[in-house]
Amino acid sequence: MIGFLAAIGRWTARGLASIGALARFAFDALASVGTLPGAGRRVAVRVLLNQLRFTALEAVGLIVLLSGVLSYLTISSTVAQLDQVGASELIGQLMVVVIVRELGPLLTALAIVGRSGTAITAELATNTVMGEVRALKGMGIDPYHYLVLPRLIGCVVSVAVLMIVFDVVAVAGGYLAAATIGGMSAARYMGIVVSNLTTQDVVLTVLKGFLFGAVVGVIPAYEGLSVRRGPTEIPQAVIRGTVGSITAIFIFAALIVGATRA
Amino acid sequence: MTAPLVFEEVPLAKAPRASVAALPGADLTLAGRFSLTVRPHETVAVTGDELSGVDFLGGLALGLEEPAGGRVLTLGEQVTLLSRSAQLAFRRRVGYLPAGEGLLQNLTLRDNIRLPLRFGSDFRQKDIEGRVDVIVAQLRLTRVADLRPAEANAEDRRRAALGRALAFDPELVIAEDPFEGMTERTSAELLEAARGGETAEGGRRTVLVTGPGLPGLLRTRVDRAVRVVRGVVEEGR
Repeated sequence: MIGFLAAIGRWTARGLASIGALARFAFDALASVGTLPGAGRRVAVRVLLNQLRFTALEAVGLIVLLSGVLSYLTISSTVAQLDQVGASELIGQLMVVVIVRELGPLLTALAIVGRSGTAITAELATNTVMGEVRALKGMGIDPYHYLVLPRLIGCVVSVAVLMIVFDVVAVAGGYLAAATIGGMSAARYMGIVVSNLTTQDVVLTVLKGFLFGAVVGVIPAYEGLSVRRGPTEIPQAVIRGTVGSITAIFIFAALIVGATRA
Repeated sequence: MTAPLVFEEVPLAKAPRASVAALPGADLTLAGRFSLTVRPHETVAVTGDELSGVDFLGGLALGLEEPAGGRVLTLGEQVTLLSRSAQLAFRRRVGYLPAGEGLLQNLTLRDNIRLPLRFGSDFRQKDIEGRVDVIVAQLRLTRVADLRPAEANAEDRRRAALGRALAFDPELVIAEDPFEGMTERTSAELLEAARGGETAEGGRRTVLVTGPGLPGLLRTRVDRAVRVVRGVVEEGR
């Protein structure tokens, strides 16, 4: 029994230590903004633009596809039933609450974890294993400035922007379904959706964009730079980065729902 | 004149503390601790196998690793006592060629040489390009400068890594295992580039080379060759 409790204690202590190290990493990354040298800023901005191209621009197609298909499926499978019971007004609530506020941010963040989070972990882990991170430090370049900060800011901006793309396409896809299956007019559809959209929904959606984006920027980078033993650890780091990011995104999503309902 | 690099009573991490001893006449001393003074304009090679701990010297000198005891003075500073940003600024005064080169794989060889100048100096773009062109020509990289490290051969990668270390024209150069896999002729060429020419006092730059061994041709070209074997430190000629 004592052995079992000790094991739980060890597991808890390890977990808390990991969270502490991650929080310290995130804090150091943010604090490094203040020490970025003037000349380094131009280089970091170039790395940031590259990150935005990889994470945002090249992911637009995927997000449009996911969003369009999801909204079409959701609305097409519910609009006929709602019409039969005279509750077609609920389509707006369904669109705003389920897709725009909850699924939009969640699916966008998950898509970016799968697409860019994995790439960030693998790239930074390779940088570490190949001695590039040590070389950067040796020549007076802070890895936070050159490797972490551009990726963090890139992910925050990318997830926030892609979330807006997701929501806009979802609303359009929902209309397509409502019009073709339920015969709903554009004016009525938009009227229902807009009347269900509150300022709180918009604020929460934007907040989630920044928060989930920060998760995608921090956890994969942390895991990538934590590699110590060699190339065989890179796949493990990618798994840790991906699972950690997905878990954190779901926990934050649940916490936000809990906080707004409280 | 202050010695550019001083190791005072520093335990080398991989060497069992008690087994490190000095041979008579050496300024490498005593009782498990490593001491070495590299004088201005001097080229010193410290060699030893992987258990000797010599591969820690570069990291200790640059403050990338904390010494377990004693102290390390690089250009008169204890780097590990400086703030994080001061450490980074300090390291731009020292040329560092790490073991395995550490070239960024997503940049060309030219961009690798350009990076420290673009990141850590306020030089105008034109001046940076001029400096990079000189280094590229001096290290005979013109033909391959626009290749990425994976596309270049080992010799060109090593030249580019040295070029990056020399970007700021530092007074002190620390090179970890720079001759591994190189011919004697290339090794001699790399060493000359690191020294930066001759002055009345010796090389224009002070150079510390670490690694498992020294190519035969270079034994006559360094001012001192120090060997650390199985934790026992000895000074060569």
